[in-house]
Amino acid sequence: MSSAPSRPAAAAWVTPLRSWAGSDFFVLVLSAVYFLILTPLAPGFASTGNALSLITSLLPLLLLAVGQTWVLVSGGIDLSVTATIALTSVLGGLAVNEVSGWLGSGPFAIPGAILLMLAAGAGVGFLNGLAIARLRMPPFMVTLTSLMFFSGVAVWLTQSQPIGSLPPTFTAFGGRLGWALPVAALLTWVAHLGLSRTVLGRWLYAVGQNARTAEVSGVPVRTVTVCAYVVSGLLAAVASLFLTGQAETASPVLGQRMLLDVIAATVIGGVSLYGGQGRILGVLFGVLFIRLIDNSLNLLGLNFTLILMTKGAVILLAAWLDGWRRQLARMA
Amino acid sequence: MTPVASSHAPVRLQFDGLQKSFFGVPVLRSVSFSVRAGAITALVGENGAGKSTLMNLLGGNLTPDAGQILLEGQPHRPRTPAEAQRAGIAFVHQELNLFGNLSVAENLCLDGFPLQGSPDAATSSGLGWINRPALQLLARNRLDLVGLKLDPNTPLHRLSSGERQLVEIAKALGRHPRVLILDEPTTSLSAPECSRLFALMRELRSEGLALIFISHSLSDVLREADDLVILRDGAVVAQGPCRDFSSQQLITHMVGRTLEQLFPPRDSKRSLRQDVPCLEVRNVTQPGIVRDISFTLHSGEILGMAGLMGAGRSELARILFGLDPHASGEIRIGGELARPGPRGRIQQGVGFLTEDRRGDGLSLESSIADNMTLVSLPQLARTAIGWLDPTTLRQTVQTIRESVRLTATARDEQPVKTLSGGNQQKVVLAKWLLTRPKVLILDEPTRGIDVGAKYEIYQLIHQLADQGAGILVISSEIEELLGLCDRLLVLAKGQIRAELPRAEFQQERILAAALPA
Amino acid sequence: MNPTPVPLTFRLLQAATPLLFLMVVLVFGLLEPRFFSFSNLQGILLQSTATALVAVGMTFVLLVAGVDLSVGALMFVGAALAGKLILAGQPVALALAVMLAVGVVGGTVNALLVTRLRLIAFVATLGLLHVGRGLGLWITQTRAMNLPDSFLQLGSAQWLGLPLPLWLLSVVVLAAWTLLNRTPFGRHLYATGFSEEAARKAGLPTRRIIGLAYVLCGACAGLGGMVALAQLGAVSPSFGEYYEFEAITACVLGGISLFGGRGQVFPGPILGAVLVKSLFNGLVMIQADPYLFPVITGAVIFFAVGVDSLRARWLQRWNQRPIYLTDPV
Repeated sequence: MSSAPSRPAAAAWVTPLRSWAGSDFFVLVLSAVYFLILTPLAPGFASTGNALSLITSLLPLLLLAVGQTWVLVSGGIDLSVTATIALTSVLGGLAVNEVSGWLGSGPFAIPGAILLMLAAGAGVGFLNGLAIARLRMPPFMVTLTSLMFFSGVAVWLTQSQPIGSLPPTFTAFGGRLGWALPVAALLTWVAHLGLSRTVLGRWLYAVGQNARTAEVSGVPVRTVTVCAYVVSGLLAAVASLFLTGQAETASPVLGQRMLLDVIAATVIGGVSLYGGQGRILGVLFGVLFIRLIDNSLNLLGLNFTLILMTKGAVILLAAWLDGWRRQLARMA
Repeated sequence: MTPVASSHAPVRLQFDGLQKSFFGVPVLRSVSFSVRAGAITALVGENGAGKSTLMNLLGGNLTPDAGQILLEGQPHRPRTPAEAQRAGIAFVHQELNLFGNLSVAENLCLDGFPLQGSPDAATSSGLGWINRPALQLLARNRLDLVGLKLDPNTPLHRLSSGERQLVEIAKALGRHPRVLILDEPTTSLSAPECSRLFALMRELRSEGLALIFISHSLSDVLREADDLVILRDGAVVAQGPCRDFSSQQLITHMVGRTLEQLFPPRDSKRSLRQDVPCLEVRNVTQPGIVRDISFTLHSGEILGMAGLMGAGRSELARILFGLDPHASGEIRIGGELARPGPRGRIQQGVGFLTEDRRGDGLSLESSIADNMTLVSLPQLARTAIGWLDPTTLRQTVQTIRESVRLTATARDEQPVKTLSGGNQQKVVLAKWLLTRPKVLILDEPTRGIDVGAKYEIYQLIHQLADQGAGILVISSEIEELLGLCDRLLVLAKGQIRAELPRAEFQQERILAAALPA
Repeated sequence: MNPTPVPLTFRLLQAATPLLFLMVVLVFGLLEPRFFSFSNLQGILLQSTATALVAVGMTFVLLVAGVDLSVGALMFVGAALAGKLILAGQPVALALAVMLAVGVVGGTVNALLVTRLRLIAFVATLGLLHVGRGLGLWITQTRAMNLPDSFLQLGSAQWLGLPLPLWLLSVVVLAAWTLLNRTPFGRHLYATGFSEEAARKAGLPTRRIIGLAYVLCGACAGLGGMVALAQLGAVSPSFGEYYEFEAITACVLGGISLFGGRGQVFPGPILGAVLVKSLFNGLVMIQADPYLFPVITGAVIFFAVGVDSLRARWLQRWNQRPIYLTDPV
């Protein structure tokens, strides 16, 4: 119908149900329910130690998902994040390791290595963005090829060997929760504000919703697109810093299996793969949900093959629930 | 309500006390009228009068709450569009349902390819081998029905919008319908294409088909239709033979009050400032698109641009707004050379309401507020990093939506796709008004909008001109240009063919200049 | 339409993939003359058969504007079951039938997820990828299985002078081409890919059409798995990995649009698959650093996709109707 009559109030029970289903907190409730059901089943699920390990494994995924959200909102997709992790990890390791580090062991070695990692992450994002915005190549193919290319470079640089003997001060940045948690929280907060409260954020949504309208409305579409990929690359570099710190080695296969988790967490968190929709708060809960499942299945002592299968099934279930709640939110 | 009395022809379709409500809000309140075979019945009404709901009931998209539809005396209760189609109801929608990646022939026979072994029997199942020669023949026959001389193998994306419209009608006629519904068939057609379509409609009428013609173009309705049914607020407010209605009566019935005129009175002397040029175009040429375009738009002036479909008007507008390049020539805005790109133009105070409201005018899924503020975000931001204050945004939206008189029932956060065409256009206007434009280019500002909303948009245009903006209006409705503008340019084949001051406005002169020599 | 001469650059762009292919062949041929030997060229063709089969299936899905990331996982599950059966002494025919069946079942699951539960194709098939990988690892207990030589011979056996896998590919390509271009279903598939909404309005059973595309894709993945298994002769835990990306790449190189409705199943995706494999083959022959393979492959594909995007933009400009005719130069 072209003419929508003014919308009347729906039945009394629909409205609260609708607003609940449509809110970001839906996934949080889902996580809580899951937690309550699993607590009696999985030994040690509700312990402090487990909570800490949960948070530790959550932070890198959170940063990746937040960066991915920026890209998805702008109407693209970034499959290259895991390659960015590998590449920056390897570069950082090569620069700072105590045996043959490029930067030696001077006072500037560690800040230099971190800067190098950030610059490399931003650089990968910049190249992705440039190819997509300037050459108008499809984001899926661009980031897929850059996934192949940069993870290839990471493997080639190290001849497929992990790099050990990293200085403890370096690994502490990501490995110690006291550092990692505030940094991740701050970055997430800034990314949230940037998306919801700034001109750039509005522009991202506008480009993702309808790039032609955005162009006619004077939005610098290309710059905005490049920005999204640079942010994704930067956050992937920080995630790499965390993962490298946690593993205490730099490795060209670091984070290799995280891509699926990143996409799953963002989609469950309410970000649309078609662009123009999604919020950081929802993504935070999506990440929590994914990691909760991972963690609980590990505690249940399940075989890793079963974990893989269960995770697949849970992702499907969550995606289906998400579609269902969207429908509910659209009702009335 | 009594059905049309003066019918020699039999009644083909009868609506009998139809009612429909959505969530307790009645959209149709007991609608009754009949449609004769061998006649064109026009259905008119403002957006929201219930036309689409009525047609959705007929087409099987909705079922009525009460009442019934009789098709040749038999109850017609389609549950799906396919059922309605089988019963002989054929639609030609405003938005064409064609596939650019298929050939014309494939588009014509998509729901029933002739198969090997049974060249005549069309089947809707996906199985079997397509009989290519039979497909050619069938497609050629259907194209003949609408008098279109085309190779059926032509890819559809090569066709002009007029040709596509005819293909869509040929597709509908191929199903041998008993009732053909044409919903706003002329919005994307040029004048010759329109007259061709009307000739076809008359021919189909003489063959005994019942046609329902839905249009906002009242002159077309009064000229072409036999019977008239006017809907307002979900009820039939008047019906009868077309010749019993004048244009003024028609409008009064539709709007429910007397509109003094279709256009607000215009005193061009009042606002026009000949000494202040705000847009100067000198010898602008882009090979294949426009050539040697020169004109000046003054502050406070409403300048119209007439021409046939495909004369290059919208293309020129895109060039003026910096969306498309031009090879040579000069564009000055407020005396200063135009800055590159839409961003540059916006900074210099140019605004552009595009022809394709849904495609590049709005973000349909986004809210009213987001759409309205999109262009002026940088001005609304507080600091260099672009920090936005929600309160400021809310107040800005509040002020501007009042000044464009957006319907009060819509919430700021409601997606614009839920609005009627007229209100959507007001959102686009609000978006540009927020930038306080010095030059505003309006490409088909009232396309697909009902009479009442049109009048309000004209008023807004006047207001803007009175405040000193220069306005360039492109329109395919010559009456609109005559009623609204101070001066007219006529474009044909990418060139300005005539320039007429208001004193010399004559439809014949404009048409003569617009037709290719 | 006006018969304006087509610029040479545009014609070159139109034939980008074949040209790139020629370039790759020439470069490797010059670096290593053995690359040109008949047996090597036939080898490349054989190596690309599995990818080409999967790419044919992927074409159906891409044509309806979907994507199937689960093909590699389905190949793995099928191979794992087939390997178990063969090692248990069951007939080879049964094992092959099981592989095909796994593909069809997996495709059906995808079809149901996408058309009934209305999941986004990317997420639905991603989920099945997880499930399939896990299932396969569970069946094989994450150990590699070596199959008897009798099975391996299937991969190199010939009939009328042509290796069996190439026969299979030819039959599948011919069937797919006929289905897409000569049956109503095929044309409906193109229409649905162009606009699902419009196809639904036109009364087409869009759910069934989209669903069938996934089933066909799954079946092709099963066939591709058979060929890969017969050629490798072993099921390793990484069997079938990255086939989804290779197949999508082959399709995109072959001119299938990721946005649905555009492209032909022959020769594009087949050529795309051969291009990717000849790159690998050539790199092996010139004894390049194996760690550089993905780097070079990535760069070449990036280049090809870039050229393709350029071509699409030119094509768009080219199809724009002129308002007036420019004087002939």
